[in-house]
Amino acid sequence: MFNFLNPSNFFVLFNKVSKSIKIIIVPLIIVALVFSLFASPGDYIQGDSVRIMYVHVPSAWIALICFSLIGFLTILNFLFKFKNALIIYKSLAPIGFTFCLISIVTGSVWGQPTWGTFWAWDARLTSMLILLVFYILFICSYKFVEDPNLSSKICAGISILGLSNLFIIKYSVNFWSTLHQPASVNILGKTSVHKSMLLPLSLMLLAFLLYCALIFLMKYRAEVIRMKKKGLKRL
Amino acid sequence: MNLNIFFMNGYGLYVWSAFIFTFLACFILFFKTRKSLKKLENDFKTEVKELSTEQIETLKTRKISREILASQPKAK
Repeated sequence: MFNFLNPSNFFVLFNKVSKSIKIIIVPLIIVALVFSLFASPGDYIQGDSVRIMYVHVPSAWIALICFSLIGFLTILNFLFKFKNALIIYKSLAPIGFTFCLISIVTGSVWGQPTWGTFWAWDARLTSMLILLVFYILFICSYKFVEDPNLSSKICAGISILGLSNLFIIKYSVNFWSTLHQPASVNILGKTSVHKSMLLPLSLMLLAFLLYCALIFLMKYRAEVIRMKKKGLKRL
Repeated sequence: MNLNIFFMNGYGLYVWSAFIFTFLACFILFFKTRKSLKKLENDFKTEVKELSTEQIETLKTRKISREILASQPKAK
């Protein structure tokens, strides 16, 4: 298990997996876009503005998943000095940041026709904005702090605070009276979204996940090369 | 031609702008990542060329270094 997690094994896997992803991703995005923009029905209250859901919801999920993984890996790296964890969280952070930004912007665009405003200091919206700030702080802390030990401590601190914010994001719609609706898709519970809308949502989520895997592999490869470049001087 | 599929009953501006922003952000991240990866690969190869033959041979025994050196940049 730990041998598999060795950077060299991950690195060799890069070419094989990225080639397969590149073949699948473009047709999948086209199909997901056709379903999201044209084939799926409009909502009986929100009309066609509901189509924004197909980019907004998967982006928010990915932003949350990425930060959960980052939090777990930074703590792992801080406690056990697990080298691969450092490379993985550095590769994940820009992806999480991008999707968090997409989620906030598309949510804001969806808010105008639905709530009549682009922004409200509502618990869900504000906690997502805080998550974006955590992403920025996290990226800055490993980019600009030169000392690796100090950088790892700062990253661990930010991720612990960020992880507590994830619970606030998840339960904000239940704890407070918010403009944002409660979750409609539940993995364990009842899903209130109709199948005709669930299909494009799933397709778009799959396309985004493949895209994330591709970017992650590219970032991972870049981080390993950067590390190896430093090692050249010691040869 | 039914233009309503683009206007989306008046919501077209919101829907299209949300999708365009999403895919633009994804494209920017993809091309930025690819550019920095290519730059790092080329820098690595340039630095390897400056090494002695013995050092290069040592490097070729390592899995990752061998794989980076084997990857060919696309012709422009």
